[in-house]
Amino acid sequence: MKKFLALLLAVMMLASVLVACGGDKKDTSASGSGSGTADDSDPFYGDDNIELLVWAADKAIDVTKELCDEFKAKYPDKKIDITVQVQGEGDAAAQVLNDKDAAADVFSFACDQLTRLLNANALTPISENRKEDVIARNSEASVNAATVDGDLFAFPETGDNGYYLVYDKSVVSDEDAKTLEGVLAACKKANRKFVIDAGNGFFSCMFPFTGGLTLEGISDDDVQLFNDYDEDKVVDTLEAFAKLFHDYSDVFLSSEATKISTGMASDPRIVAAGIDGSWNAAAVEDALGDDFGAVKLPTINVNGTDEQIVSMHGYKLIGVNSHSKHLDAAEVLADFLTSEEAQLKRAQVLSWGPSNNEAVKDPSVTDNVALSAILEQSKYSVPQVNIADTFWSPMGTLGNTLWKDADFSKDTIKKNFEKTIANIKDE
Amino acid sequence: MIKSYKARRIISNTVIYILLGGLGLIWISPLVYLILHSFRGGKAELATTIIPQSWTFDNYAKIFNPPDPNVVNFPQWFMNTFIIAIFSCIISTLAVLMVSYAFSRLRFKARKPLINIGMILGMFPGFMTMIAIYYLLKVMGILSMPRVALIICYSAGAGLGYQISKGFFDTIPRALDEAATIDGATKNQIFWKIILPMSKPILVYTVLTSFIGPWTDFILAKIIVGAQGPENYTVAIGLQKLVGQEYKAQHFREFLAGSVIVAVPITALFLFMQRYYVEGVTAGGVKG
Repeated sequence: MKKFLALLLAVMMLASVLVACGGDKKDTSASGSGSGTADDSDPFYGDDNIELLVWAADKAIDVTKELCDEFKAKYPDKKIDITVQVQGEGDAAAQVLNDKDAAADVFSFACDQLTRLLNANALTPISENRKEDVIARNSEASVNAATVDGDLFAFPETGDNGYYLVYDKSVVSDEDAKTLEGVLAACKKANRKFVIDAGNGFFSCMFPFTGGLTLEGISDDDVQLFNDYDEDKVVDTLEAFAKLFHDYSDVFLSSEATKISTGMASDPRIVAAGIDGSWNAAAVEDALGDDFGAVKLPTINVNGTDEQIVSMHGYKLIGVNSHSKHLDAAEVLADFLTSEEAQLKRAQVLSWGPSNNEAVKDPSVTDNVALSAILEQSKYSVPQVNIADTFWSPMGTLGNTLWKDADFSKDTIKKNFEKTIANIKDE
Repeated sequence: MIKSYKARRIISNTVIYILLGGLGLIWISPLVYLILHSFRGGKAELATTIIPQSWTFDNYAKIFNPPDPNVVNFPQWFMNTFIIAIFSCIISTLAVLMVSYAFSRLRFKARKPLINIGMILGMFPGFMTMIAIYYLLKVMGILSMPRVALIICYSAGAGLGYQISKGFFDTIPRALDEAATIDGATKNQIFWKIILPMSKPILVYTVLTSFIGPWTDFILAKIIVGAQGPENYTVAIGLQKLVGQEYKAQHFREFLAGSVIVAVPITALFLFMQRYYVEGVTAGGVKG
């Protein structure tokens, strides 16, 4: 309320500036990337005196600054001024949409924000002459995560935003960790907990995904589309999960993922294994020390066959703001920040899993237990992209019914599953 | 039916005290938890027991001397908030009291209309205008100085919160003003030398509210400094970041420690102001 007078005063001031404002929308269309036929030796198409703002996650800020210095050194004849600013990847889209003109030219974001950014026209498609190279050097899934209707809208930066199985090696053997039944039995023997955040749509979607459900983007009127799944198989899989959760009801714990590192760090350890997000890897490793085990998600026995649990997998992308004043230069920088060397550097310094096909083979990645586990799991995953906002909440509810409801007969599960799909489609 | 008055009183008092005690316990428990666990040691970041099993000052050490200032930079956040709160507090207190004095003591043609406009403007919810404020600040080019921008936001319209102080000034007898006028005091002197010293409670109240407002504000601060780097954050934004999914597993105890620290300046200010509060209530008045 007090701000209102400030507003009134400001309106008066605005009136005087308004005239100058008219020329604001000038050059966004003029400098469309890749439009010129300028010679290939100048990727900036003659642009000079370039000022760029880069947003990077706080942990990555030093690495990004170093990379930007390398970038400047690469083009000594150009005057390039790069400012690197901290901005969390989870918050990037919100901040970009808040004010595109004040947002960074080049910014890092989690791939689930892609739809929002595209709806607001905040991203430009990557120019054709660069596209081929980006597609060739990054994993197919990470490219898919950045592609909408055949246009590539961002550069894949990392390939490790997902979840995997972490376990205490003193309780769960590597052999046990291959099947969900084995993990639960080992936990029960030691009287310790097994944690899944079953009420969180990001985690609980693994239950139907394992049964063959996948996502097929969203329709023009924003309705979530699914593949042509076999409902009986999905229901059988859900039933298998529900049965395990009930059989091991004293072991299974549905709680947010941070409970895993906390339960492993307490003395005595309460949690023996869990399905945890890659962002918590450092905390879990810290808690377990030498007993730290990480591996792709286990299999689950559905009607006699072991089915690999399928997860949801996210990617971090680097995008170019469509309102950037130096679109071409921003794209060259984004390209550089996601190159093999840059991804490798991030893997070595920050333990961030690369999306680059070559960087993945580097020892800094293959020797890292958590990273190899998450990258292995990414082969059995659904990319977290093009997902309707209505997806998460019903999916979380479905996960909760599996372990909370005493009645887990096939009919009930089928009814719950159909209700979930209907709710997601908002029917 | 219990006949004895004494027995009845004891019973009803017991019931009331148990009820009130229970409510008090519920109310105070989050604060107790916050303080207890800000001293919790051990490896687990989140609590596994209600009473911590080991104790340490590490969380406080970490928050004042952060190992990675890119992630947690509490001292900087604290300073930012402190500067913003101090300046907003001084400007808004002066504005509120002066506007109240003018409305209470001076008689001019636009007085009634201005009071009404102030009332009506005050009824609009503040967050309605936040996005507009953002764009206006941007046009004015103040956005790149987030501290200045926030001070402007918090204090520019402060005078509109005149109602309570005006009500208080109205209760101070005009005979005092008249006596001072006869002695040759100007309106300005009356305000500083007569009215203000007699209005300590309302002064304290205004100082406290105009300090706590900027100190604890989240929404407006987030809109204005959200896109800036963490070196410009206020404590509210910084601490909120620490309980986000990415940070919780490693920084939760620092969040608790930070939350305790945040309460310190407000408490100190209140304890310091409290004596004037009481003094103001009992002193003054017209004799006879």
